[in-house]
Amino acid sequence: MAVKFIRRVLLAVSVASAVAGVIRFKGKGVGAIKQGGWRKVTDPKQN
Amino acid sequence: MIGIGGAGVVGSRVAETLRLFSHQQICVYDTEQIIAQRLAGRLSGGEYQISVVDRNAMKSAKVVVLCGPSPHFSIAKELLDASVSVVSTSDDIADCLNLLTLSQLAIENKAVLIVGAASSPGMSGLLVRHLAESFDSIDEVHVALHGTGGPACARQHHRALSGQSIGWHDGEWLRRPAGSGRELCWFPEPVGAYDCYRGELPDPLLIKRAFPELERVTGRVTATRRDRVFSRVPMMIPPQAEGGMGGLRVEVRGMKSGARLVDVIAVAERVGQVAGVVAASTAHAIVTNKIDKPGAHVLGDKSMPNSWLVSQICGAGINLHSFVRA
Repeated sequence: MAVKFIRRVLLAVSVASAVAGVIRFKGKGVGAIKQGGWRKVTDPKQN
Repeated sequence: MIGIGGAGVVGSRVAETLRLFSHQQICVYDTEQIIAQRLAGRLSGGEYQISVVDRNAMKSAKVVVLCGPSPHFSIAKELLDASVSVVSTSDDIADCLNLLTLSQLAIENKAVLIVGAASSPGMSGLLVRHLAESFDSIDEVHVALHGTGGPACARQHHRALSGQSIGWHDGEWLRRPAGSGRELCWFPEPVGAYDCYRGELPDPLLIKRAFPELERVTGRVTATRRDRVFSRVPMMIPPQAEGGMGGLRVEVRGMKSGARLVDVIAVAERVGQVAGVVAASTAHAIVTNKIDKPGAHVLGDKSMPNSWLVSQICGAGINLHSFVRA
C-alpha cells in the first residue's frame, strides 16, 4: 500500500517536473526591446 | 525661511536643491540632532546659512518640508495651526489620507499643504499631467516604481509588498493583495526591465484626486522573489543607507485625434534624489507664491503650476525619458 502511494507521488512529481521544464525551456521568452527605445526629453515643454 | 524636517537622504537632497535655488536661510530639524548638525556643517558656507533648530522653532519658517519617516500628520497639524505651509513627502496611504483631511485647517490658517511631494507619489502626478497635455482625453494611468531612497523608504517599500494595493477600476476602488499581478515594466537604462507587482502605494489615490476623469489607475513596485517571500515578515537585514539607481515609469492611455494612444514617460535616477528635488521645487513654488491657494493639494492637480515645477525639476538635474516606438 505504502509502496503504491510512493510510486504515485513520484509519478506526480516527475510529470509536474516535465511539464515545468517544457514550459520553462520551450516557452516564449521576453527578449530585448526591438520596437522602440528611450529618448531623453531635453525640454519638457517641447515634448 | 524654509524649514526641513528630517536630515536623512531626502532631507539632504532638499537642502542641496534649495541651495541651488539660492535660498539663503534654511533651518533643519531632526530627532537625532547630530545628523542635522552634520548636514548643516556640510552645506553652510558663504552666503548660505543652514541652522539646526528644535521642533518648535520650525514654526517661524514660511514653509516646512517634512522629509522624515511617516506619519507626518501630527507635525503637519502643528505647523498648519501656526499658519506654516507644509510640503509632505509621505508615501504611506493612511498618512496621505489623514493629511488630506487637514485641508480645512489649512484654509482657516491661510496655509498651503502639499500631500505626497516626493518621487512616487509626487513626480508621478507631475508626469501624468505632463503627458495628459498631449492627449485630447486620458482614461488610464499606470505607475511603476523601482528602488528606494533612505532606510525609512526601504521599510515602506517592504510594507508596501505585504499590505493591500488599492487601485481605481471602472468606477470603484479595488483592493488586491500587494505582491500580486506581475507585469514586466521597462525603465530607462541603466535600470532596464523589472517585474513589477501591485503595491500598497498612495499614487492611485492622489492621482485620481488630481484627475477625476480617470477610469483606471494602478500603482506597482519592482520586487524580486526574495522581496515577495520575505515581505510578510519583519525586515531581518537592516536597509542600506541609500538605495541604488531607481526609476519611475508612468504610462498614460487615452484618446488623441480620435485614436487610442499609449504614451510612456520615465525617470532613471536615485529615488531619494528625485524625492528631494520634487519636494524642494514645491517648497520653492510656495515661497515664490507660485502656489498660493490655501488648502491641501496634490501635485498634478490643475491648480498647481505643474509645467513650471517640471521645468524646475529638470533644471535641477532630473532627466525625463520618453518611450519612442521604432
